[in-house]
Amino acid sequence: MSPYDLLPRFKAQYDANNQEFSISGVVRPQAIDELGPSIALLRDAIGRVRGVLYVNVRRLTQMNNAAFHTFSRIIIDACRARPELKFVVITSSVVGWTSRKFGRLSGIEPNITVEEYDTEFYPGQGFLEEGGFVPILRTQTKMTWRHERAILPRHGMRPGIVMADICCGIGDFAVLVQKEFQPSRIVALDHSMTSLDYARRVMREFDIRGIEYTYGDASEMLLDETQFDLVTCRHSLQIFNRPELILRELYRICKPGGRVYITNEKNSHCLGEPRAESIRWTYDEVAKLFKHFEMDVELGPKSRRYLVEAGFEDIRVETFMVTNLDGDPQDFADVIAAWADVYAGEMATRRGDGPEFVARFRQGFEDHIFAALHPKGYAGWPIWVASGRRPQ
Amino acid sequence: MGAVHHDLAGGGPTFEPMIQIDMEIKAFVSAWRHCDYVSTYMARMISQNRSDSVRHSNLFSSAFNELLEVAFRTRHADGELACRVSRHGATDRIELTFPCVPEERQFYEEAVSQLAGIEARERYLNSVSGDLAPSRELVLLELAVDYNATLWIEDADGDAIKLVVDLPLEGLQN
Ligand SMILES: C[S@@+](CC[C@H](N)C(=O)[O-])C[C@H]1O[C@@H](n2cnc3c(N)ncnc32)[C@H](O)[C@@H]1O
Repeated sequence: MSPYDLLPRFKAQYDANNQEFSISGVVRPQAIDELGPSIALLRDAIGRVRGVLYVNVRRLTQMNNAAFHTFSRIIIDACRARPELKFVVITSSVVGWTSRKFGRLSGIEPNITVEEYDTEFYPGQGFLEEGGFVPILRTQTKMTWRHERAILPRHGMRPGIVMADICCGIGDFAVLVQKEFQPSRIVALDHSMTSLDYARRVMREFDIRGIEYTYGDASEMLLDETQFDLVTCRHSLQIFNRPELILRELYRICKPGGRVYITNEKNSHCLGEPRAESIRWTYDEVAKLFKHFEMDVELGPKSRRYLVEAGFEDIRVETFMVTNLDGDPQDFADVIAAWADVYAGEMATRRGDGPEFVARFRQGFEDHIFAALHPKGYAGWPIWVASGRRPQ
Repeated sequence: MGAVHHDLAGGGPTFEPMIQIDMEIKAFVSAWRHCDYVSTYMARMISQNRSDSVRHSNLFSSAFNELLEVAFRTRHADGELACRVSRHGATDRIELTFPCVPEERQFYEEAVSQLAGIEARERYLNSVSGDLAPSRELVLLELAVDYNATLWIEDADGDAIKLVVDLPLEGLQN
């Protein structure tokens, strides 16, 4: 028998605190008795809960009709036996069939509702996925690439590898990697349809091959485990309120002996001369602003700890500073202007900041731009690069 | 949506063959997991050049596995199972040929002829409210309603049936 036959391919759990029954993996039984323990667990959960039972199928990648029918039957019967009980089925937009299939249940029993969980699943999502960020990413990647192209080979990048770029944004990094290092395959995943559409358009227009873009959720990916030599995740761990969950997924899809490569910022360390004070004040405030939305843009130096705690070995950390002297200072200025737009704009407004604060906040960005464009000025944006090897 | 009587003689679009797997039905029905293996494997192979290969593969496998499970339950013990996938633009065509007894054949013909229209949708939406286990008809209904598939039956040699399913998954995803 192959290991495939021995592995349980699905898992059912009940979390009493959240009144949540979840079932995940591939559920394709031949006979219903293969589901025995899971069915017992669901029945037991139904017996215990009051009010609402959450049925979480976010990580359910496959379920055949035989299994679906069995679980549905139990839930429908429970609705009829206990009219005061409500069921909320939580699906994922990433697994296309689940919302349709489970959606039927709400038509049969009004006490069953079906929700796609990932329409709003972390606090800052709105700003980052469909917001003003898309144009900034282009220039940012152009600036960071000058450094990273030299850094990447020290972290496992080489021709012919199979790699994944998770939270790929508009795909510029994947394209640059493809040109420079020629991996044999790149899977690039993001949760923004807008960004992916853009990325696919670029790929078509420039006739780029070897990159597969996929819509997905970095915290629960449909990608198979242990298939990539290198998994990159750039500027993104810092936007999740629980980065360790993402890291666990990056680890899962990485081959034993392969590496996971992450880049993150420490925004309060952005700097400039002249006008250093005002710049520093503003970037300290940037860190606080993100913190308000449960994002940690100070994560950079914590990368080592995160990688250790996720089980990686041979951890390598380095930093580089993007500066106004790298290329066209105007690029640097454009990025700062774009940050100012979002941070001192939508984000500050959402937090409820007053005009006085916003004016001072904005001034720091303007001073950073001033420093960047000043003939004797210097402006910097530091980035932390870290990678770890998945043990054999 | 629903059943269509296909105009076989009249040109129609050309579907490019993508992959084909044949096996003895005896071998196929010797292990249930073959349904999962074959659907997962074929889904991966044919999804590679779809715009979102990972999600396409998940959806395709989900639909195809149900068809294979239908074939698995055939009451005819001899002959060949043939799975063929071909493509025209956004549509993938599955042709599944498997041995079956005459009553089964008649059952499929009736089931497929009733896939069109509002009542099919109603029947599908109400299908879990009955007490019975999911029927083979339900599987076909689901393909028509949830996957926007078009299904029909073509002639096959001997005691066999050929179920043809056009799946427009590429358009369904986003
Ligand atoms: C700060 S951007 C970084 C993008 C890109 N790596 C770069 O460096 O330009 C963060 C990205 O994470 C994506 N994202 C947010 N939540 C996600 C999730 N749950 N799964 C996958 N991607 C997500 C956003 O759509 C966005 O493209």
